[in-house]
Amino acid sequence: MTPFAFVGICLLLAIAGIALLNKTQRLKELGDKVTALNFSLEEMDEQAKLIMRTDMELNKAQEELDKKISGLDTLQKLSREISTTLEEKQIFKKINNQYVEELGFEKSLAFLWKSLEREFQLYLSLGYTQDESQKIKTAVNANKDYFLDLIKNGSTVSSEFAPEGTLSKSSFNHLFTVRSFIICPVLAQEGNQGFIFVGTQNTEASITKGDQEFISILANQIGQTLDNARLFEKTWRSQQELEIKVEERTHQLTQALQEVKKISKRKSDFISSVSHEIRTPLTSIKGYAAILLAGKLGELPEEIRSRLEKINRHSDELVHMVNDLLDISRIESGKVEIKKEALSLRAISDKIADLFSEQLKTKNISFNADLPEDCQEISADRSQIERVFINLVGNALKFTPQNGKIEIHAKRINQNIQIDVKDSGFGIPEDAQESIFEEFFRVDNTINQGVKGTGLGLSLVKQIIQAHQGKIWVKSKLGEGSTFSFTLNAA
Amino acid sequence: MTLQYLRYILNIMNVSLGFSQLKDPVLAANEAVGQALIGLKNAPANLALIFTSVEFAHPLMLKTANNLLGEIPILGCSSLGIITNHGVFKHGFAILLLSLNQQTFFNVAAVKDLNKKNPHLSGKELGDRLLFGFKNVPRSLSIILSDKLITEGVSLINGLQESLGKSFPLIGAAASDNFENHKTYQYLNQEILSESCSGILFGGKIHFGFGIKHGWLALGKLRYVTASSGNVIKEIDDLPAVKLYEDYFAKNTQELTKELRRISIYYPLGIYLPGEKEYLLRNIISIKDDGSLVTQGDIPPDSKIRLMISTEDSRLAATVAACEEAKKNLGCGEKIKLVIVFVSAARLSILGKQDDTELCVIREVFGENTPLIGIYTNGEQAPLKSIDYLGRTYFHNQSINILAIGEQ
Repeated sequence: MTPFAFVGICLLLAIAGIALLNKTQRLKELGDKVTALNFSLEEMDEQAKLIMRTDMELNKAQEELDKKISGLDTLQKLSREISTTLEEKQIFKKINNQYVEELGFEKSLAFLWKSLEREFQLYLSLGYTQDESQKIKTAVNANKDYFLDLIKNGSTVSSEFAPEGTLSKSSFNHLFTVRSFIICPVLAQEGNQGFIFVGTQNTEASITKGDQEFISILANQIGQTLDNARLFEKTWRSQQELEIKVEERTHQLTQALQEVKKISKRKSDFISSVSHEIRTPLTSIKGYAAILLAGKLGELPEEIRSRLEKINRHSDELVHMVNDLLDISRIESGKVEIKKEALSLRAISDKIADLFSEQLKTKNISFNADLPEDCQEISADRSQIERVFINLVGNALKFTPQNGKIEIHAKRINQNIQIDVKDSGFGIPEDAQESIFEEFFRVDNTINQGVKGTGLGLSLVKQIIQAHQGKIWVKSKLGEGSTFSFTLNAA
Repeated sequence: MTLQYLRYILNIMNVSLGFSQLKDPVLAANEAVGQALIGLKNAPANLALIFTSVEFAHPLMLKTANNLLGEIPILGCSSLGIITNHGVFKHGFAILLLSLNQQTFFNVAAVKDLNKKNPHLSGKELGDRLLFGFKNVPRSLSIILSDKLITEGVSLINGLQESLGKSFPLIGAAASDNFENHKTYQYLNQEILSESCSGILFGGKIHFGFGIKHGWLALGKLRYVTASSGNVIKEIDDLPAVKLYEDYFAKNTQELTKELRRISIYYPLGIYLPGEKEYLLRNIISIKDDGSLVTQGDIPPDSKIRLMISTEDSRLAATVAACEEAKKNLGCGEKIKLVIVFVSAARLSILGKQDDTELCVIREVFGENTPLIGIYTNGEQAPLKSIDYLGRTYFHNQSINILAIGEQ
C-alpha cells in the first residue's frame, strides 16, 4: 500500500466516521423529536379526553335544560287550558296526546277515587285501547289499598325510584305495559282524590327528577282545578237553587200583588158605590136641616136649633169625608185625569197663605216660603196640587202650637223640584211615620185625639203625588216638628 | 311473493305531495292521497312513495291508497318522524306521487325474511329482481328501504351491489320506529312487510344528485381495530374495545351501559377512509360482557378509527354541505322537481325540540316550494361521493342523506 493510498483510506474512514457521527446525531435528534411528538400526541389525547368529558357534561346539561324548557312550556300551555275548565270530566279531556308526548311520554291514565262506590274510576286514558284501559282499571281496583296509601302519603313513584310496598317496578311495568313510568297523586282539598300515571315504552327514555317534578306540578294543577270545579259546581248549584227560590217567590208575590190589586179594586168600587149611596141621603139630611134652620117651617126653639146646627156641621164633615174617599178611589183606579200645566209655586204659596191667614193669625204662627229662582214653576194639575198644599199646610196648622212656624222650601234636583213643608209642631212618632200615608191611619196619642181628622188627607196627598209620578215622604222628630217632602216635575 | 313492475311512461315528470295527521289510517290515507292526486293536476300517477309513522302501518292504509291510486306501484316504510315541506311530524301519513317522463323506467321489488336468510344472497336476490326486464336499459339509480333490525345491512348492500354493480349509485335507509324496538315496516304495493328490504331501480333518463354528510370531527389519537367480526369490535389496540370509551369518559362498563345511547350518538366511532374528508360513523348499539362493542354496521379488522365529536354548527354545516353537493351534482341546468331526505334518527334525538332546524336549512338551499319528503332512519346507505359514482355504497350512521331529482 502506497502512503497516498493509506492516507486516502484514512481520509475516507475519517469522512465516513464523521458522516456516521452526523447520522447518529441526526437519528438521535429525530428520535428525540419522535419522543417529543409522541409526548405531545399523548398530551393532546389527554386533552381530547378532557374535551370529550366536558362536552358530554355540557350536552347532558343542555339536554336537561332543553327538556326543562320544553316541559315548562308544555306545562304552561296545559295549565292555561286546565285552569279555565270548571267541569270535572272536561279537565281531563284537555290533556291530549300532544301534551303527554311533549312531556316525553306516550301513555297516560288518570284515576279518581269514588268513595261512595268504593272504587277508582278512570277519567283519562291515552295510548291504550278501551280493553287495555278496562283491564288496567280492574287491576288498579284489585290493588286499591296500595294506591289509596299512595294518595294518603302524597308520594310520587317512578320506574327510576322503585316504590316500596306490595307492587314492584316490574309489576307496574307489566300492569301498565310500559318501560318507564311516573305515578303521582292528585290531591284535591275537597272531594275525590286520585292519581295520574304517565309512561313510555321508549327504551331510550329514563325518568329524571325533573320529569317527576313536572308530573307533580301537573298533578297539583289538576288537584287545584278539581277543587275549583267542585267549588264552582257548589256555587252554581246554590245559585240555581236561589234562582229557583227567587222565581217561586216572585211568582208568589206576583200572585199576591194581583190579589191585592183585585181587593184594592173591589175596595175602591165598594167605597165608590157606598160613598155615592151615602152622599144622596146626606144631601137630603143637609137640605132638610138647612130648611129647618132657615126657619121656613117656623121658628125653632134654641135647643132644637143647636141640635140642627150640629146635624148640619156633622153632615158637612161626612160629605167632606165621602168626597175624599171618592177622590182617593178615583185616583187609585186611574179615573182622574191629571192635566199638567206650568204653575207658579209662588202663586200657590201666596194662595195658601191667604187661605189660612185667619188661623195663622189666631195661633200666631209664622208662614214663610223660600222659593229659589230655579224653582219658580212646576208642572202639575192645578186643582189637585192645591189640594196637596192645603192638606199639608192644614195638617201643619193643626199640629203646630201657638207661636210656631210653618215654612215652605223648594230646591231643584235635575228635572224635578223637591218641595218641603216644614212645621215646628209636635212631630210624629218614629213607628208611625211609615203608616201615616195609609188610609184611615191616625197616630194614636193624646195630641191627635184633640184634633179632628178623617185619616184620609195624607192618603189622598200620596195618591195625587204618585199620579204626578212624584214621591212623598216624611221626616219627623217628636217635639221638633215634621217635614213633609214631595217631588214634582219642574215646568 | 316478490312483486315486480316495469313501466314505460309517456309523460313529463310531475310530482305531488299529500300529508295527513288524521288518526284513523283509512281516513289519513284517503286525505293524503286525495291531496296528492289533486296536486298532480290530471297527470297520471305512476309511482307512489309512502312514509308513515309506525301506528299507520295497517293493511287497510295500503288498501285505501291502492284503491284510490288504481294499483300503481307503492314503495315506502315506517319511521319515528315524517319530514315534509311543512315541518317535522311525529305522527302522520305522507305520500309522494310521481308522474314520470317517457324515458324513465323503473322496477320495484322486495326480499323478505331477511333474518332467516344469508344477507349477502338476499341482497343479490333483490338486485336480480330489480333488474328483471331491464335488458339493455341503462340503470341509473336505486333506492332501498330496509328493516332497522337487520344486523348485517352491509352484507345485504354488498350482495345488492354484486348484482347491480359496485360503482352504482345506491341510496337507502333503514326504517325506524319510535324507540320501542318492536318492529319497523316496509311497504310494497299492498303488502306491509317486516324484516325485509324493498327497493326501486330507476333506469333510462332520470336526473338526480345526492349528498351525504354527518358533521362529526375526529378527536384524540388514531386507534386500530385489532380484532373484529362483522359489527362486533372485539379489540382496539389489543385491548378490549370498551376500554376506549372507559378511558375517554372515565366511566366503568356499567356506567357506560347506562348512558350508552347518549354517548353513542354524541360520540360515535369514526372509521378512517383513505382519501376521504369525512370519517364513516358507527354507533355503539351495546357492550358485550367480554368488553366487545356491537356497532350499527360493520367495522373491518385493521380499520383505523377515532372517537368523533360534533357541535350544532358542525352538524348544520354538514346538512348544508350535503344539500349543496346534491344540488351541484344534479347540475345547474336542472330544475329540481323533488327532494328526498333520509335523516338519521340520532340527529333527531340530538336536535330534540329544535327538530325543524335541519329542515329550515334544507328548504333554504332548495327553495321553500320545492316538494320535499323524508323520514328519520336507523342507518343510511349511499356512496361517499356522487360526482362520478366511483365510490362503493357504504352503510352510514348519524348522517343526512339528500337526494335531489330534477328535470332539464
